[in-house]
Amino acid sequence: MMNRFNHLPTLKVDTTQKIAFIYKGKKHYGVKGDTVATALYANGIRIFARSLKYHRPRGLYSLDGECSNTCMEVDGIPNVRCENTLLEDGMVIKEQNVKGSAENDYMSFLDKLDWLMPAGFYYNVMHKPAKIWPIAMKQIRKAAGLGKISPDYEMPGKFDEVFLNTDVCVIGGGPAGMMAALSSAQKGLRVILMESRPWLGGFFEYRSGQYKDRQALHERALFLANEVAAHENIRSFTSTSAVGTYNNNLVTGFQIGKKEDVFDQRYIEIRAKSVVAAAGCIERPLIFDNNERPGVMQIACALRLAKTYGLLPGKKAVFSIGHDLGLEAALELHDLGLAISCVADIREDGHDPELLKKIEDKKIPLLKGWVATKAHGSKLVNKISLASVDGLVSKSFDCDLVVASAGITPVTGHITVAQGTLKYDNHTGCFLPDQMPEKMHAAGRVLGLNDPLSVEASGTLAGLQAAFDCENCSIQEIGEARKALENLPGPVRGTKLVTAPVKGRKSFICFDEDATIKNIKQAIEKGFDVPELIKRFTATGLGPGQGGIPGHNLPLYVAKYQTLPDVSIRPTNVRPPLVPTLISTYAGVNHKMFKITPMDEMQRKDGGIFRNLGVWQRARYFSNDLTCKKEIENVRSNVGMLDGSTLGKFRIHGSDALKALQRVFVSDMSKVKQGRVKYSAMCNDDGCVIDDGVVVKQGENDYYFTTSSGRAGQTVEWIRYHTRYDGWTFALVNLTDSLGVINLSGPNARKVLEKVVDIDISNEAFGYSEYKEFKIQDTVQTRAMRLGFVGELSYELHVPSSYVKAVWLMLNEAGKEFNIKNFGVEAQNVLRMEKCHIILGQESEQRTNLLDLGLGFLWDRNKTEAKTVGAVALRQAENDQTRLKLVGFKTENNTRAPRDGALVVDEKVRGYICTARDSFSLNEAVGMALVEGELSKIGTRLEIYEDECGDDRIYGKVVKMPFYDPEGTRMKM
Amino acid sequence: MKEIQRVSPVVFKSTPVKTKTRDNWEVVMEYSEEGDGPFLVDLSHRPRFDLQDSNLAAQKPFGIEIPETPGICVLEKGVLANRMNGTQVSLYNLDSDDTAVMPDESGYTDVTESTMCVALIGKNVFSICEKLTALDFMDPQRKAPFLFQGPFSHVPCQIVTLSKEGDISGLVLTCSRGYGRDMIHSILHAGEEFKLTPAGENRFTNWIKEL
Amino acid sequence: MALTITCPICGKRNGYEFKFGGEEKGPRPEEKDLTPEAWCDYVHMNKCVAGVQQEWWFHKDGCGSWFPIYRDTTTNLEQEDQKATNQEGKNDEQV
Repeated sequence: MMNRFNHLPTLKVDTTQKIAFIYKGKKHYGVKGDTVATALYANGIRIFARSLKYHRPRGLYSLDGECSNTCMEVDGIPNVRCENTLLEDGMVIKEQNVKGSAENDYMSFLDKLDWLMPAGFYYNVMHKPAKIWPIAMKQIRKAAGLGKISPDYEMPGKFDEVFLNTDVCVIGGGPAGMMAALSSAQKGLRVILMESRPWLGGFFEYRSGQYKDRQALHERALFLANEVAAHENIRSFTSTSAVGTYNNNLVTGFQIGKKEDVFDQRYIEIRAKSVVAAAGCIERPLIFDNNERPGVMQIACALRLAKTYGLLPGKKAVFSIGHDLGLEAALELHDLGLAISCVADIREDGHDPELLKKIEDKKIPLLKGWVATKAHGSKLVNKISLASVDGLVSKSFDCDLVVASAGITPVTGHITVAQGTLKYDNHTGCFLPDQMPEKMHAAGRVLGLNDPLSVEASGTLAGLQAAFDCENCSIQEIGEARKALENLPGPVRGTKLVTAPVKGRKSFICFDEDATIKNIKQAIEKGFDVPELIKRFTATGLGPGQGGIPGHNLPLYVAKYQTLPDVSIRPTNVRPPLVPTLISTYAGVNHKMFKITPMDEMQRKDGGIFRNLGVWQRARYFSNDLTCKKEIENVRSNVGMLDGSTLGKFRIHGSDALKALQRVFVSDMSKVKQGRVKYSAMCNDDGCVIDDGVVVKQGENDYYFTTSSGRAGQTVEWIRYHTRYDGWTFALVNLTDSLGVINLSGPNARKVLEKVVDIDISNEAFGYSEYKEFKIQDTVQTRAMRLGFVGELSYELHVPSSYVKAVWLMLNEAGKEFNIKNFGVEAQNVLRMEKCHIILGQESEQRTNLLDLGLGFLWDRNKTEAKTVGAVALRQAENDQTRLKLVGFKTENNTRAPRDGALVVDEKVRGYICTARDSFSLNEAVGMALVEGELSKIGTRLEIYEDECGDDRIYGKVVKMPFYDPEGTRMKM
Repeated sequence: MKEIQRVSPVVFKSTPVKTKTRDNWEVVMEYSEEGDGPFLVDLSHRPRFDLQDSNLAAQKPFGIEIPETPGICVLEKGVLANRMNGTQVSLYNLDSDDTAVMPDESGYTDVTESTMCVALIGKNVFSICEKLTALDFMDPQRKAPFLFQGPFSHVPCQIVTLSKEGDISGLVLTCSRGYGRDMIHSILHAGEEFKLTPAGENRFTNWIKEL
Repeated sequence: MALTITCPICGKRNGYEFKFGGEEKGPRPEEKDLTPEAWCDYVHMNKCVAGVQQEWWFHKDGCGSWFPIYRDTTTNLEQEDQKATNQEGKNDEQV
């Protein structure tokens, strides 16, 4: 294990606390605060993975997870971004996409075959003859890719979610973000601050340069972080990446949990009144030959390895940089003991003179106008070639570390995803915000600023602008903050060089997808002219890094290579999630929310088999015999109990209640008599049936009605929608959950109920289609209806939910002598089908109207002033001969019933089977079907086609409905 | 004859140590190991009424002046009146000793049975809420008591915030009775990290007296 | 969902609490002398403007009221007190 610095004030690791982990089956140690990547680096591991296409060795490059170089398998989870994942005790870490090991990969020969794989080779070769492709595809898929996952893989871990509201959301916890948060919070606003790294401080936090008055930048970072922590209005989320920004200032992100947190990752959704985008900058990669060879890394990567993690990144280094940060890093690392053979700076001039003097004082050789051209070494860097930018002169140095960076590039994804625009800025050479989205403000290095004081001042300004959006700040205050910023240094000139003077066959513009400069040239020569298309064709920027590495270089290079005078430099689009996010994180907590009925407990005890039906869980069967033979027979010959609690139940009252009912129900509701049950239906504006149920009159303009289970959730919405212009006075109360419904059915139903209630329930006193209210045992207020959905004598008892268990127990007790039994939804389905009572959604679909179902008798055509929903369309449909009709049928020769949904055919499709079952009551297979009008005559032969039946057909014959007890004597007995 | 007992849609796994029968409900007054809060209290047995009238200003349920603005609530003599919209108010009898009898007027409907009702009281109540809903309880514009009609754990709810004051924070939540089982599961799951525990009605009664 | 809708009862809320109820087309026509074409137009024809439209929303997860709002279909943002593009010309027809 490498020695660590342990005296630096910027360290975020505790070198005294060792953490053990397994890498390639062997135990290694990191220290507390290490990421997986730094722990591996500390153990001398330099090759972390092999690349997607060519199996090139890859290692540490940016330390912020901007490319797939350090994606590894951690504890069985593939593609973990090691630079962003804190090391934990006992972690098991494996390398990805290797045959053998990352060190010695048998597939590395592919690197020499790059000429076989030009840009878009997928699209060009292996297509002819077509037979080749499936074989080729298998081989390619075996060789290429990142992590592996099996289809039945279940994501381990704890996922959580929070939904937050705030006045101001600040993205980025660097100096600008912190200043913005503070200035908004000081205005009394609620502020949320999001920072990807585990701590606040941004680009101040690891630097020792001077902030002002001899205060070091890292000291300033700490000071600001403490201010932020102390402010009660600011909630900071560290280890939290903002991955999406949307309309109306919705910001989404995810947080990586610490050991003590109850989550491994949690989804964060923030609704803010205003947003400050201050995500800072990343470095723009320098492109030269083998620019991704392990040992080549960016400035901040090398510096942070030392300053944050206490690891000297190498022994002997060469720098090839284009920004003052490179000079600063060279000086700091030199002081920490890194031997620097040479610093090549792309820039001829424009350097910070103070830094130049120090470089000179420390006798670090500096080459101005020079750049790295090629890294040597087959697996690790052992030598670097440098050349003057024009390529005229060259030199080489032995080294084990190349610190390379072309410049910096702002992280603008949060702005562009929210539909803000960018503009190429010639001075900085960066894409800077142009049109900001409504109520979003940019601050800090995103604006091209670099001077520490300017960065902070821009944060203060953005914080006040956000406060202004929340109506908590005056224009004058903003004016003053703007003036303060204008008096400070503005953006510095940036370099525009993308590549060293090389041919580019091994110069990588995108590490994730193994795309080289040569590939880009190939795409352009094929005629692709726009960066967005070249990105697609070469896959540049389509990898896990989300364009972090090539995002800036690609449009710059394309513009340069095309040498067209009027090509405006346009960046490619980025899309959310801006940082790779686990689908499990988006899924968050999986709360399954289902309704249960008041009979749930008892039915489960009785062996009910439950199914999710809409929002409800209902007992569908009561035995493993899915034909429900016993349940059905018990209802037909004895007595059964069904849970009908899921029926929609409503009270409508108020002076215009009847008018509202007349609007939505097809029947004339003024004819509903007290004490009677009226069956009716609702249609939509096309006359198609959407609901059916019963209505009971309780008083003048006071009704109680039921709807089908599936529609209960939309009933209020429906009635209010269709009366929204009328200004009527009526009130709806949803009583669906208020009352449990016990359907007591069968020839012995009366005998059971008699024992429980005190009133006379003889057929004379309580006849078919009548309604009664009474109390059971002077306590339970009950509404009872005599209906006959299943075709037997039956009572539907609507009982207050909390009393359902009590009543259920009474009925069970009373029914013991008759051997009363539960029956489930499927038994009911068969029972009512034998009686040809329809269930909407089963005997109807979206296009089935009232007339098709033979329910035209429900419709009162004379109440035109009610403007009944569906009436106009029904009138039009009356003469339409082309519609499907509902018919009953039996199968021929006693063959089994066809499956629901089977088709009625001749030379074409003529209809379909709605419900069909082998009926135990009738000893034959019967069912209902929707068929074309000409097939609806009694006696018509139906040819029925089932899925995958080949040439076999089932034949049926149209018969009269209903099949069971056609006179209806049983339900009226 | 067997005694008739009513069943609450809310079932806790904790062991009741003190119970009381009221209007056929077996009300748990105290559970064992209630902890230091936050607490989840079942109030489903508490009478709740719906009042709808085109002229609400003329109505004075239980002598309460109904707030004019939707979303505003008043708590008087243990009865909470929540203005829902122009013509509707919900009434929760949370803490009056006698069982409030619903006025015999056509605008009223007893909806005690329609919903499950729980109180979530004590510290970190709103940290639990933000895991389950995007509703903004901490909006400084809203002064307790106030009503939210909105989704909580994906289910439409009525939520009345009675206090936003630190450790005595608290709210009363109602949703369709059928969701009782899953709603309790989801609240307890979200509250696990804050040591949310079921508590008896006493805990709520003492709390509401402090408001 | 990024969309927000301002409910007249409950205030500004997340879009997923609401259900869309179509473009504003005025009250149901009288049935007397109504031609099938006119009826079909009322029920099924939409203007689908790229711009500000007046439209109905239902606060499904909230207070349960129907109300119209103005929304810019190109930005998916609500507009306060805007003249809707899909209502232009409506007055002309009535004149």
